[in-house]
Amino acid sequence: MYKELDPILHSQLRLAVMSLLISVKEAEFTFIKEKTNATAGNLSVQVQKLREAGYIDVIKQFKDNYPQTTCKVTPRGIQCFEAYVDALQQYLHIGS
Amino acid sequence: MNERDENLTGHDSLAIIQQMIYAAKQDQKDDGIGWILWGWLLFAASVLTIVNLQYNWYSTFFFWNVFGIIAIGLLLFTIVKALVFKRTKKVRTYTKDVFDKLNIGFTISLLLIIVAMNVYITPSIGFALLTGLYAFWIMIYGALLNFKPSNIAAYFVFALALACMFVPNFKLVMVIHAVAVLIGYIIPGYMANRAFKQISKASFNTTA
Repeated sequence: MYKELDPILHSQLRLAVMSLLISVKEAEFTFIKEKTNATAGNLSVQVQKLREAGYIDVIKQFKDNYPQTTCKVTPRGIQCFEAYVDALQQYLHIGS
Repeated sequence: MNERDENLTGHDSLAIIQQMIYAAKQDQKDDGIGWILWGWLLFAASVLTIVNLQYNWYSTFFFWNVFGIIAIGLLLFTIVKALVFKRTKKVRTYTKDVFDKLNIGFTISLLLIIVAMNVYITPSIGFALLTGLYAFWIMIYGALLNFKPSNIAAYFVFALALACMFVPNFKLVMVIHAVAVLIGYIIPGYMANRAFKQISKASFNTTA
């Protein structure tokens, strides 16, 4: 019996953002944009969806008079990402 | 990166995960320049001290004092640069945070040993402790970067630190210290630098 793939994560850009954030402690919006090659608008929408799902924390602040948006994966995000990878492994018959 | 969720296959997902983790890891590599610079400074101080002891040019620790002034100068330059050109970091990694703490701990321990050498312990014991401290730093740094040459080098440097303790001749202590620095910092530093350049070149070719 296959586990269902998490629809929040089963999206190209949202998965890319989560994969990036899982490897670091926290990252600025510009860093994520640079690494994913996404447009600011699209990335902003997907980041918001991940935040609403409780997978990431988004911290907006001012640093040296410039707005700064920092994203950080939450413990729930880590748990769901791991479950997604497990389900993916089942589909692809890897490591089972 | 565009949205095409309905067409996303398992293989696509896996490729995205791998690609993004690789992209994040790219920023966590060390170019080895710091080790090379630090290594050559220590090596030069050791070798010049040996020559100095041979020809009796200056006092025994003259070149170590010169090294100390250069090291303090570099430390102050780094602190001032960090304070004046306060650049916001685009990304914070757990590894980088551990590096920072490791370097602070290393510097404090180094200063404690140097103070101890000036007031209580013999230079032989002092340099043995310093060499042991280098080995500790090399081991942790190597483990964090998953850099095998450093992991191996750390054990050799620990062995040389132990050997230092039983050598009464200060000239020989300097020889052991120079060898430890060569094995622990300079050689792995150049290897790390070469690996870093290859990764950067490969990454440039991929993105170009």
